[in-house]
Amino acid sequence: MNGVVKIMKNEGKKVIEQARDQDKTKITGKESGKHSFEVDPRSVYKCVQCGTCRSVCPVFDVVGWESANTRGRMLIIKSLLEGRAPSEDVLQSLASCTTCGICASRCPAGANPPEVVEAARTQLIKCGITTEAQEKLKSAVLTYGNSFGETKDRKHWLSETELSKILEKSDYVYFVGCFDSYRYPEFAKKTFGVLQRFGVTLLPDEQCCASPLLRTGFKEDAEKVMQRNLEQIRKMGAHTIITSCAGCYTTLKNNYPEKFRVISLPEFLAEHLEELNLKKLDLTVTYHDPCHLGRHNEVYDAPRKVIEAISTLKEMKNIKENARCCGGGGGVRIGYPDISLELAKNRLQDVPEDVDYIVTSCPLCVRNLRDAGGHIEVIDIVELVAMAME
Amino acid sequence: MDITAELRKIVGGRLSVSPSELYCYSSDASQVKGMPDYVVRPKSTNEVSRIVRLAYENDIPVTARGAGTGLAGGAVPVAGGIVLDMSGMNRILEVDIDNIQVVVEPGIIQDSLNDALKPYGFFFPPNPGSSAMCTIGGMIAYNASGMRCVKYGTTRNYVRDLEVVLADGTVINTGSKMLKSAAGYDLTQLIIGSEGTLGIVTKASLKIAPLPKTRKLVIASFENAEIAGQAVVKTFSNGVIPSACEILDRVSLQVLKRYDPNLVLPSEGDVILFEVDGMESSAREAAEQIMKVCAPLALSIRLAESEKEMADIWAARKLVGAAVSRLDPTKTRIYVGEDVGVPIKQIPELLKRVQEISERFNLPAMKYGHIGDGNLHLALFIDVLNKDEWDRLNKAADLVHRTAIDLGGTVSSEHGVGAARAEYMNIQWGPALEVMRAIKKALDPKGILNPGKLGL
Repeated sequence: MNGVVKIMKNEGKKVIEQARDQDKTKITGKESGKHSFEVDPRSVYKCVQCGTCRSVCPVFDVVGWESANTRGRMLIIKSLLEGRAPSEDVLQSLASCTTCGICASRCPAGANPPEVVEAARTQLIKCGITTEAQEKLKSAVLTYGNSFGETKDRKHWLSETELSKILEKSDYVYFVGCFDSYRYPEFAKKTFGVLQRFGVTLLPDEQCCASPLLRTGFKEDAEKVMQRNLEQIRKMGAHTIITSCAGCYTTLKNNYPEKFRVISLPEFLAEHLEELNLKKLDLTVTYHDPCHLGRHNEVYDAPRKVIEAISTLKEMKNIKENARCCGGGGGVRIGYPDISLELAKNRLQDVPEDVDYIVTSCPLCVRNLRDAGGHIEVIDIVELVAMAME
Repeated sequence: MDITAELRKIVGGRLSVSPSELYCYSSDASQVKGMPDYVVRPKSTNEVSRIVRLAYENDIPVTARGAGTGLAGGAVPVAGGIVLDMSGMNRILEVDIDNIQVVVEPGIIQDSLNDALKPYGFFFPPNPGSSAMCTIGGMIAYNASGMRCVKYGTTRNYVRDLEVVLADGTVINTGSKMLKSAAGYDLTQLIIGSEGTLGIVTKASLKIAPLPKTRKLVIASFENAEIAGQAVVKTFSNGVIPSACEILDRVSLQVLKRYDPNLVLPSEGDVILFEVDGMESSAREAAEQIMKVCAPLALSIRLAESEKEMADIWAARKLVGAAVSRLDPTKTRIYVGEDVGVPIKQIPELLKRVQEISERFNLPAMKYGHIGDGNLHLALFIDVLNKDEWDRLNKAADLVHRTAIDLGGTVSSEHGVGAARAEYMNIQWGPALEVMRAIKKALDPKGILNPGKLGL
């Protein structure tokens, strides 16, 4: 029976070669394909291709192609390990992962696809394969110390008088992050306002935490940036870093080569609830778990404790380890804004009825969820706290 | 003819020839590999019909695919050609409670269907371990079943009507909403389990069942798998039909405990999970009967304490097959020889022989599965970077398949034959395989539909 049909292999090969030729023109780097692809094979072969991740991958939900889900990405990485030359369409698949980690939390085999994807992105960069958006991001961080390429001072949100009152030394440092410094200075101001009561200070010349570089695969560049912050932390002698951004939090906690205590703003607030003397407000809110705070670091209870001290919490449809990604992470917001926005819209479908605010504890989540245009205002947890302190 | 251009006319941007995309469609969860030349994601029966017609006119193989969770390479295009990714056709078209049925497109995920039916108090009973990700179309193509088929039957028992695109693009219906029909051949049953070799299912009317009022779970452990098998045989012969009857050998238990350390499972022996369902009084009575029958053979026996405990155990059980790396990170579970079945009475013998095979080839094995219907899932795991282990694995799997046939069983109970088990079709079926070939020839004279499968 098989003999009757055309065996399409040759045509398939031709099609693949043609596509590959077209792809080469889109590669931004120098010597594509000349670098060997080095990712720990065991981390990849843990995947048994069962498809559990396919059923939860938020990007796949929007895109629909197999290459846009975790199993597809693991397969592509396998193929690179087995000698297939990296090309632009490989990058499309790997760069569209938000590294939200829901796949890892569900994987029965215990694979950690976000780690594998980040390692593979690093290898692609070594092969000279990057997107324009990635290059722009890298250049902004390396040149200006922030992911937006902003030229103004990172502490522009503080007045001269406020600047003069910053402690030169403290055991506690508030790591502001690029987003709060440049996109939500009002969050930074409110956060620092609360933290200053506890003797918290700022780094003299904070730089991007390096999360955008690490998540998109620029590992070597990230190490340089991390060193700039590390030197200042060392010099200050601080033992605790407080962050209000989920991306900064996971990077400082899990990627920095030196260990110090890193806590998120919700954890700090939860620890000091009594001292904050917060008012109970007649508000019902819901909470969006940022992936890099929740699933990646299991910070689930602290933000809920703070919220419940102030207001009534009505949970979203999918929460904690099952929370759906806002679509902002892993370089997807900058690289694939349309996909990113669709993910945010999907996340808004989980919001319960009759809530006054959607609260979260990551400025990137705030930004993406706001951009999705729901009718309920999205706020950072510090704004809720500020309302309860008025 | 420029096939790419023609396909694009039909599906627009839902066509891909990108090398990475094609690669992602070159395998499922089995070890079978085959690169497609085109992947298309149709949205309607009309599109499927036009694509198949185009393939027919140009002698191009067409392989339908759901979520690609198959374990036999059934959705792998081993002869290249077009892969039809049906997962985008995933609507529930009608919930017809008065006729106790539902009409769906094939791409709907099994759990999504049941989530939608729950508010009505109904469910679609066949429940494979992959229910969170597998599609109804795939379940129909492989006559999938799962843990509760011991009482509820397999997918085959729930399909009333199928809309099918034949090899030349013609669209037919194989049944109706009627409970019974005595008019002509039962084409619905012919299509079920045909693995996409006779036609492409584009719509299905499915019988549904009322959700049971209560479920109870008896957890019993036994000194060894053979005694556990005897307990199952004894339960059935005492007139109790559980809604699920699952075996978990001691290796599976270790894996489950690693997967979810909160699970309270017996600390020794091989375990049988007996689930009974129905009205509160009848379920309680059945559970008590099982405990009475099994107690003399068991090391321990108890009733699960809460619905949550039951749900947690079943959730972990569903994923145990892939979780073996939790026990040893250097080992990966390879799906070969994983779906044999034998008559219930032969289960103790099958368990004994499988253990001997595992020891003979020095391969660690995990044994679990639907022991209540004679279906054993054997999980052999190896270091995938070790060629010698691959060789031993393939030899062991071959022997497991032959053992099942020798015991009057089957090489596949619910995962299908695909390309992975095609070589055993002749041994299992003998002259009956020629009848299957004749049917294939009649419906697909050019052999474009999923070539290389079922040993045809």
